[in-house]
This record gives sequence, structure tokens and C-alpha cells, in this order.
Amino acid sequence: MGGSDPISNVVRFVLLLFVQVILFRQVSLGLGGAASLAIIVSPLFIALLPLRTPLPLVVVFSFLLGFGTDLFYESLGVHMAAATFTGYARQFVLRLLEPRDGFKVKASPEGRDLGFSWWMKYVGMMLGVYLIWYFSMEAFSPVFWRSIALKTVVSLPVSWVVCMVFVTLLRPRI
Amino acid sequence: MQQLLRIFFTNGSFFTFVALQLLSLYCIISFNSPQKAIAAETWSIRAGSVRSATETARSYLDLEQENEALRQEVARLRQQSPESLYATERIVDSFRDETFVQRYNFLTAHVVNRSPYRPNNTLIIDRGKNLDVRPGQGIVSPTGIVGIVDQVTGNHARVLSVLHQSIRISAGLASGAFGTLRWDGRDPRYVTVTDLADYIEVQAGDTIFSTGYSNVFPTHQVIGFVVDSEVQPGTGSQNLTVALSNKPVEESNVFVVQDLFKDELSDLATE
Repeated sequence: MGGSDPISNVVRFVLLLFVQVILFRQVSLGLGGAASLAIIVSPLFIALLPLRTPLPLVVVFSFLLGFGTDLFYESLGVHMAAATFTGYARQFVLRLLEPRDGFKVKASPEGRDLGFSWWMKYVGMMLGVYLIWYFSMEAFSPVFWRSIALKTVVSLPVSWVVCMVFVTLLRPRI
Repeated sequence: MQQLLRIFFTNGSFFTFVALQLLSLYCIISFNSPQKAIAAETWSIRAGSVRSATETARSYLDLEQENEALRQEVARLRQQSPESLYATERIVDSFRDETFVQRYNFLTAHVVNRSPYRPNNTLIIDRGKNLDVRPGQGIVSPTGIVGIVDQVTGNHARVLSVLHQSIRISAGLASGAFGTLRWDGRDPRYVTVTDLADYIEVQAGDTIFSTGYSNVFPTHQVIGFVVDSEVQPGTGSQNLTVALSNKPVEESNVFVVQDLFKDELSDLATE
């Protein structure tokens, strides 16, 4: 599941989706529902899509991921919007973090020629984009900006750490 | 079209994103009750301003019709303003008496237009056929004579000024001697009385009156004062230079003289 071939991506899609909805959804539910904490790992699928994926397809795959997440979260649309936005934002994040000599286009954002700190920044930004959009869509009004900001600030570090664990586990063979 | 397609392809991710995001928003509003409530509330707040904005736009599109309606309203109001009205009231200075029978009616009139000053002056008054103004009736001012009605329409009449070269007025002295008054087209202050017998003694300063013989002006209407007399050799007549007692080119409030005996007298004259 660490490669950049279609099978690996499908495996990652299913794995991350199930980890997200079966494991981490219970975490936020277990905290009483009113908690600000949400552990989100599914954007990792978007982040790990191969670099050469056509940009519209990235958006479409992200949308499908969000759709799958929403089916289990019983909040149809919220994760869809967040994932779609993250998929669209990925190109800008990558452009922002582009190494001086460019990416190796033949594969995914590769752990092999990109260091851990690069991964930290990349996953952090992707997660941040996702979380901000997700909590905004959940609140659905700029009136609740305090709560949106609080939830993002609380959830981002935890999700980040979890995601980095996943990246570390998967990185050598991505 | 090709350019449009190229834009679409180069920004494919953007359009995909917008489409899917809109779909997501639709799902959010349709399937989540808190968001649905928020959206409904927001819509009810914003709907008013949206509606007023569309109303503004629509009324802007109606400007042409609005303008036409306003112009019609302005026209209607201007029709009602005093300037647009024609005063039909007349002040007729007449009275019934056993001793006297009314001969002249005086009808107030205003000069509403006049020709530029030239050898043949005319002016327009705001009285016409509807008030029995007829060609040949005289026009006088409080201090002298102004002219003779020439053409008549329903509400207005054209007047040949006394300062018109074709005007002929019967004028005479207090003694009863009379001649014909005319204007030579030069100085608007002076007219000439011709065909006055040369043996008549005339002093400078004598008053010239209308004779009333032509049924145009009432008898003894002051016209002016003799300035000079000049015997015309070989004709047996003399010419009087007369200073007018009024300024015909400046008169604006005048009277129409209506001789009620005119028909009777002209019938006699033709028999």
C-alpha cells in the first residue's frame, strides 16, 4: 500500500477511510460529542496521491473520499466540501513547498527524496486546510468563527501527530 | 469557443472544484438540519436586500416609461398653470341710461406680441373673434391711440400700429377742422396730419383729436399736439407735424374700441 500505482492508492483510500470512520470517529464520539477534538486522517489519502495525477482527477478523488467519509459520519456534504477543497488546494500547497530543483514527477510526493520536515509542513498544511474548511462547513456561519478557530486549533496538533505516525509507518515505501 | 474550451481545460481543477463544492453545499443544506436552519435563516435575512436590489434593477429598466409618464404629468400640470390660461373674462364699461345709448364698448386687451421696430409696425393682442373683435376696430391706450385691428382669429387679433405707413386716421382740431393722419415711417414720436385747409389758423401746441368720422376711434380722443405747420404750395392745404401723446411702440395695456353703431353708419355711407 506504499506505492504510487493505482492499487496502492485504492488500498490507501479504503484503509484510511475505515481507520477514519471506525477508529477515530469513536474518539470524538467518546468525548461526548460536544468536544472540540476531532482526529482527521483521511486527507492523508489526498496528500499521498501521485504528483502526476491530473488536477481535476485529484479534486474528483477527494470528493469521493469526502463522500465516503460522510456516509459514515451521517453528515452528508460536510466532509465532501472539506475534501473537495483540500483536493483543489493541494496544487497550491505543493507549489508553495516545491523544492528548489522541483519534484521528481514520475512518482507521488515521495518520502524518499523529501525529508521528514518537508512531510511535516506538507501534511500540516493539508490538514489545516481540511480542518478549517470542515469546521466552517460544520458550523455553517461566520458568526461561529470563535468555535471554528478553537476546534481547528485543538484538532490540528492531534491529527497532525497521528498523520505523521502514519506517514512514518508508510514512508519508506510510499 | 476554442478559447473558452482552452480556459476550461487549463482550469479544469477549478471548475471541477466549484461544481463539486456546490454539490457539497447542496448536500449540506439538504441533509443536515442545523445547517439547513442556518441557511434558511440567512436566506430570510438576505432575501429582503436581494429583493430590493432586483427591484432597483427592474425599476431602472422601467426608466423610459417612467420618464414618459412624468413628462405627461408635467404637461398636464403646465396646462393648469396661470400662464397657460386664456382669460375670457372681460370688463365691459357700459351702462344703460334713458338719456344716453351706449355707442362704444371698451374691451381690455394686452399686447402679447409685436413686430420688431420697422416702417410698418404691427402688434398682436389677446382678444379675438370670440369677444367680437372685428377688423377695423380701433385700439387705444389710456393716453392716445395705438392702431387698428387688421386680422382676427378666435382668441387673438393683429393690429396695424399707428406707426404703419398704410394707416389713415381722421384727425382734427378742436375747431372742427380735420385732415388725415398718417406716418411717414421715420420718427416714431411724430406723425403728420395732411389735407388740412391752408387758411386754418394753427398754433404750435394745439391739441389734435380723433374726429370719430371713420367709426374707428371715439370722438375727441386725444392723439397728440401740433409741433409745426407747413403750407403746401399750390394745393391749398397745409401739413401739420404732430407729436404723439403716447408711445405706441411701448404700449402693453390697451383697449379695443367697439363701435356699436358701425354697421348702421356704414350702411348709410354706402347708400
